[in-house]
Amino acid sequence: MRRTRIPSEVVPAPPELDAGFIFWARTGLEDWEDVRVELAEAFEGSKAAAVAEESIVYVVSNDALLGRSGAPAAMVAAGLLSGARTAAIEGSRKGWTANVLAYDSVVDEADVLEHAVRLLENGLVTGELIHLGPGHIGKALA
Amino acid sequence: MKGAVVVTGAARGIGRTIAHTLMQTGPFTVVGVDLSPELAEVDGIVPVQVDLTSVDGPATVLEAVESTGLPLLGLVNNAGITRDSRLVNMSTEDFTSVIEVNLGATYRLCEALAPHVVEEGAIVNIASRAYLGNFGQFNYSMSKGGVVGLTRALAISLAPRVRVNAIAPGLIATEMSMAIPEDIREKMVGAIPMGRMGEPEEIANAVWYLISPLSSYVTGHVLVVGGGRSLK
Repeated sequence: MRRTRIPSEVVPAPPELDAGFIFWARTGLEDWEDVRVELAEAFEGSKAAAVAEESIVYVVSNDALLGRSGAPAAMVAAGLLSGARTAAIEGSRKGWTANVLAYDSVVDEADVLEHAVRLLENGLVTGELIHLGPGHIGKALA
Repeated sequence: MKGAVVVTGAARGIGRTIAHTLMQTGPFTVVGVDLSPELAEVDGIVPVQVDLTSVDGPATVLEAVESTGLPLLGLVNNAGITRDSRLVNMSTEDFTSVIEVNLGATYRLCEALAPHVVEEGAIVNIASRAYLGNFGQFNYSMSKGGVVGLTRALAISLAPRVRVNAIAPGLIATEMSMAIPEDIREKMVGAIPMGRMGEPEEIANAVWYLISPLSSYVTGHVLVVGGGRSLK
């Protein structure tokens, strides 16, 4: 089953997937309502993927993850990272994976998407935070 | 400096111990916030019985702080709930309630109180070691990861006026953890290099460090207090 939640302003035509769930976090979040809706959508899609025993990839902005894009974006990005770590633990017993892809603003969105699809189909990498671009180097992120 | 510190979830467990520790070790008046009527049993605090997820919650807390006539030195966001199940079985209601209480209420209280915290004041958010991932806790883990993200963002936006840090407790001996079946609890303790559960006082001591001037150059940090649980 194919599932993506990719804002149309990022990728007008989402890729055709055989299976799995790609959730691309929105940028420009302003308040708690934005955060609540974003995390709720991630949960519903992730649960559906878990029920189908299919892999999950969350795509977040590196700046958001590091707290440089304001509190709402940071809560979503870091929340998704923790969600992916927990989903990875649960999925490891069933053979599906969960990972996070964090991209710098200089990285082309088509490249990000290509990596997300590869990660989804990989089957071995799980519970990982993978950075695209150098923005995280030298920053503290546990 | 003598002043007030707000502690949420102060009626029981870790929050109650944090309140006691801050009152005993610092020149602090603790404004204790909780939904539970047990709050009235905590000696020495200024009690605020309120639902922090309500629209009026943060304003009610701010009014209580102002009623003390003291400067607001800090905020400790400790209130939290769990509704555990595997992701495949998790209901929307259980997901939403944990996110609203653990993350939404923390965010809204920070928004409401941060402008009133004095220069060189501090905010301490109680996250959880579960932000690194924990079986059966997708909602809780996500909420606590969100708290870590909030901590980073606020540490940037409030610097240099106010420091913002987080504590990630591991398995702590509270009513909540003692409710875990003994065989499972023993297995969990077996994975802790220190060989025991933590005590609420050990979290309170970390809060004291991060809220006090002892940590005057520490901000945006996540202090894991878990007996080394993440090491093995």
